[in-house]
Amino acid sequence: MVSQQEGAIVRKGKTGRPPEAYLPLPPATFHILLALADGELHGYAIMKGVEARSEGSVRLGPGTLYGSLKRLLEAGLVEERGERADPGRGDERRRYYRLTQLGLSVVRAEARRLDAMVRAARRKKLIGERPA
Amino acid sequence: MSAEHIYRLLLRAYPPDFRAEYGREMVLLFRDQCRDGDVRTLAFWVRVFGDVARSAPALRMEAWRRESANTQTVEVIMKIAGILTVLLAAFGSVSAVGEWVVASRGAMDGSYVLAVVLGVFASVLLLGAGVAILFGARWGRQPARVALFASLAMAVAARLLFPWMSIFSQLVGFGLPVALLIALYWPRTPATVRSA
Repeated sequence: MVSQQEGAIVRKGKTGRPPEAYLPLPPATFHILLALADGELHGYAIMKGVEARSEGSVRLGPGTLYGSLKRLLEAGLVEERGERADPGRGDERRRYYRLTQLGLSVVRAEARRLDAMVRAARRKKLIGERPA
Repeated sequence: MSAEHIYRLLLRAYPPDFRAEYGREMVLLFRDQCRDGDVRTLAFWVRVFGDVARSAPALRMEAWRRESANTQTVEVIMKIAGILTVLLAAFGSVSAVGEWVVASRGAMDGSYVLAVVLGVFASVLLLGAGVAILFGARWGRQPARVALFASLAMAVAARLLFPWMSIFSQLVGFGLPVALLIALYWPRTPATVRSA
């Protein structure tokens, strides 16, 4: 399981900062943004999406998830899209979240950064030429 | 006691503002977890408690820092601390000089004289730190820190030379600089936000 306590992530403030200024993102935050790249999601859908995408290596509990979402909202990377019920999960109204334009730029920048690192590792022959 | 009841109790570990904002959503998410997982297993509860133990202290710390980052409040507190420091240091300087004058009339031990001199200098430095805090909300912090460290070092040296130092002098000589240094080094604005 990836540590959720890793490093400083997003700096506060919404304006005038290039996406690269928010990097590097800790794995949990990157996974949350990645999940939201699919569209608007509520908390449990984000949690399940992260778990599935990371093949169970990142499991977010409610505290970790909403703590991260709170910071992402404050940093302007994510925005709330109101409350509505999820037809697949009963009548309870749930809060939905989606990426902002800045959030999308940040997750793209982080993906590029990670990609560059993986390419560097390949050049050093630390991992195979092609992903398994 | 139901699993949800236990989780509601665990939610008290989070800051009140965070609970008010996200408590309901967290309970809903927990309900989903209960529906999809087996609440009777140890692994389930290890995950639940682990999540609370990992995220609640970080959020509490953040809330606390944010509160103390309220510059207006902090500046008012620092002004009061500055006034108190100036008063105590002035009193300390006068009493140390007085003690020196009284002692100089009788036979004086060398180490005692040195302790009194160090005490006077420590008080003067403390006075300077108090003035720097009072009149230099921004520029005064670094000089105040230097003065406080020097004052503390001198108070420690005086205490080593003169072990019969009064409790009041020790409180002013050690306690006050340490408290002020903590206040001056305490982060005012949360520069970064960390993952819970």
